Amino acid sequence: MSTESKPGGSLGVAMKRKEDPRFIQGKGHYVDDISMPGMLYLALVRSPYSHAEIKSIDISEAMKVPGVKAVITGKDLEAAGLGWLPTFHGLDKQMVLAIGKVLFQYQEVAAVFAETRGAAADGVEAVQVDYAPLPVVADPFASKTDKVILRPDREAKTNHIFHWEVGDKDGTARALAASPKRISQRIWFQRCHPAPLEPCGCVAYFDTMGRLQFHVTSQAPHVYRTALAIVTGIPEDKIHVMSPDLGGGFGNKVPIYPGYVCAIVGALKIGRPVKWIETRTENLTSTGFARDYHMDVEIGATPDGRVTALHVATAADHGAFDAAADPSKYPAGMFGIVTGSYDFPTAHAEVDAYFTNKAPGGIAYRCSFRVTEASFAIERAMDILADELKIDPVELRRKNFVRKDQFPYPSRLGFTYDSGDYHKTLDTALEALGYQALLKEQAEKRAKGELMGIGFSTFTEVVGAGPSKHFDILGIKMFDSAEIRIHPTGAGIVRAGTKSQGQGHETTWAQIVGEELGLDPQNIMVEEGDTDTAPYGLGTYASRSTPVAGAAIAMAARRVREKARKVAAHLLEAGEADVEWKDYKFQVKGVPAKSVTMKEVAFAAYTNMAQNEPGLEATYYYDPPNMTFPNGTYVAVVDVDRETGEVKVRRFLAVDDCGTIINPMIVEGQIHGGLTEGFAIAFMQEIQYDSEGNNLNTNFTDYLVPTSLETPHWETAKTITPSPHHPIGAKGVGESPNVGSPAAFVNAVVDALSPLGVRHIDMPVTRDKVWRAIRDAEARKT
Amino acid sequence: MDLQYSGEEKIAASPATVWAFVQDPEKVGRCLPEVVDVTVQDPTHVDAVVQVAVGPVRGRFKLKLELIPNAASRRIDMKVSGGGFGSVVDLTAGADVVDPGDGATLLKWSGQAVARGPVAAIGGRVLDAQARKLIEQAFANVRQQLSA
Repeated sequence: MSTESKPGGSLGVAMKRKEDPRFIQGKGHYVDDISMPGMLYLALVRSPYSHAEIKSIDISEAMKVPGVKAVITGKDLEAAGLGWLPTFHGLDKQMVLAIGKVLFQYQEVAAVFAETRGAAADGVEAVQVDYAPLPVVADPFASKTDKVILRPDREAKTNHIFHWEVGDKDGTARALAASPKRISQRIWFQRCHPAPLEPCGCVAYFDTMGRLQFHVTSQAPHVYRTALAIVTGIPEDKIHVMSPDLGGGFGNKVPIYPGYVCAIVGALKIGRPVKWIETRTENLTSTGFARDYHMDVEIGATPDGRVTALHVATAADHGAFDAAADPSKYPAGMFGIVTGSYDFPTAHAEVDAYFTNKAPGGIAYRCSFRVTEASFAIERAMDILADELKIDPVELRRKNFVRKDQFPYPSRLGFTYDSGDYHKTLDTALEALGYQALLKEQAEKRAKGELMGIGFSTFTEVVGAGPSKHFDILGIKMFDSAEIRIHPTGAGIVRAGTKSQGQGHETTWAQIVGEELGLDPQNIMVEEGDTDTAPYGLGTYASRSTPVAGAAIAMAARRVREKARKVAAHLLEAGEADVEWKDYKFQVKGVPAKSVTMKEVAFAAYTNMAQNEPGLEATYYYDPPNMTFPNGTYVAVVDVDRETGEVKVRRFLAVDDCGTIINPMIVEGQIHGGLTEGFAIAFMQEIQYDSEGNNLNTNFTDYLVPTSLETPHWETAKTITPSPHHPIGAKGVGESPNVGSPAAFVNAVVDALSPLGVRHIDMPVTRDKVWRAIRDAEARKT
Repeated sequence: MDLQYSGEEKIAASPATVWAFVQDPEKVGRCLPEVVDVTVQDPTHVDAVVQVAVGPVRGRFKLKLELIPNAASRRIDMKVSGGGFGSVVDLTAGADVVDPGDGATLLKWSGQAVARGPVAAIGGRVLDAQARKLIEQAFANVRQQLSA
């Protein structure tokens, strides 16, 4: 594997990350590193109640706290027309600060501005709020009864938010009824949280020109600028959003949170810069959670294991406001990917969402919208079907895979899968794994009463939102963009509408430009996150950077190349039509000796351009013709301790097919990171609420993040099936490991316990759950 | 999180002395474990500040106590509400002053508490044990004060 960067041929090179020297030296520049003269600190009063009427708020004692400059409440904001904030997809609104009542524990109730962080925290303690508790609705099934209406502010007096469905309802019902074999299972994907190491925060101030300067931890700076213009009424040219280095995002930094609005209002009202940095607890309890889908999955099949139909009915817990991060026309995101890698003759999926007294969210945590939930459901259910039919889960999958010759494949739930070779990916995994030997070992262990499990997940993702005819956020189409300027010496700068949070864009974007223009990626600077300089784009989430902005960069580079061809023709004294781009150089067709490099052309573009327009730059806004469909085969091998319920992940193999690979080292790093998160979700993480709506996982002692001690060793391999519609064939990979791995882990544990008759365990698969499942199974047998 | 407790204390003092004690807001306030400050508002209302440490959650709670005595049945009911650092507790307790006829007094008490916020997130067993200790300590303090 080459690790050298060089002019041309930079695609597929494991170039070291250009951003890493500053990160590993502690020189990253994060929002909390920003300080302004006269800056105030914002801290938020939050509700201890999950549902209560606010009878009064007394700020008088808080105003006496030394250093406290101002306290604002929901009523103040409402009077200024800023009481409510539209949610991500524009289908609901959410209180900035509580008005009249609180709807979830830790909801923002008042904002305190003070000279120091400590004074702001003291001010928060001194605000007296008189609450009258109201009945708590802590799960979607209680919500469904409408006994307590949580959102009287809405026109429809029901807790039901939406019903969404796709596919053939009647046909699926008929096919299921006619199927000789059927399985059904409720599968809950628990509420979890992206928990980026850097929580959310901002610094807001109005400069001497009255322009809002807004530094913020945002995955989508342009969307923030437009949304802030709409919400606050500040003209969009008077808003400058800057997203500095981000310490992780994973979807958590896509929505606009009440703290941001309060900081801006405080900066305007007091006339001083305001910083707001949330605490770990505030991040875990009030910002966008993920999942919380209760999925009833039914599959019909023939006795020999050919699937006939799929039906999935989901109850979605959206919390107090419908702040799920989904494109406007997709309230349940890309849940239609639930047919997965399998050629179902018919299918129907439906989702009903409900309000509860929990934090709002439903963001795409390291996955394209709701894809992880869908993938988990189908991969878990296929194993249950295999168990029911007494067929090897590998054979069941192989029998039902979409075949290579079926691509582009129209799925029954509305997607057109671009490319893939699922059989090859599976075979690659089986070979790397030594599957037959593992099966033999498992049989021997079972004979001795030992519990060993092998779990597969052969997932397909849908990423890269998305084509403008389907996808928008607040009406803005989900294209992305790139601007490339090549300087006279052949160095250059590329700016994109995306925002790296650790993905390595500073390296991979430079590699795309290097490949397309034959320039050294070391001298291609990448800039993102500044709305004054970057072209408009929808940001980085849902694995859309490479599928959308990566494509825009390649296309902008090709525009640069077309311009350069004119200059090259002048330099080569040839007609433009006679000049071809070959071996990373312009050459006269058929005369390889007569050639010029892009570096030479760049210099000429500023010094010797003849009749051509000076300069060498281009911009491209890329509207993707389709989504991309990364896929893979993941396998977990586990040993379960029968006495303690402890699960040891002995091996984990990830074979990914993400199309063309830009930087194999970064791809591998992305897979390692995503697998570690998937491992945490499968075994450790859940945001739990008790019946009073108390959040029980408010810090890292209760919401566990794996360290290197817990994390298994990851084995990786790949197949490459380029996307036919992407300019360089890339599909995106950052989210595949988080999407694909939870099912492999759980399938392995259930496989280990299957001799005892265990059929399903909900995540997180903690030791006590496994222990209990073993004990219950043994009790049934005696 | 709902928590329920009950118990009894045998106090080496006459029922009349005990009955007078439990109606005194200053004295009752001083029996709260880890109490830092007591401010009597009126004969049945008292504000108290107590130190709280439940697992990693440590700080001061500001509590409002209301005493509801019933002279006919020699029963005292108590409502305690308040909190701090983002947590709230609502506690109701009742105690019957019983004369066992041996010159001493039995204080039979029961109580229940609802906790919300960070203290409620500590986890059932830790919080339960801690709350039980606090409430038992409060009534044990009543006994000690009267026996001293």
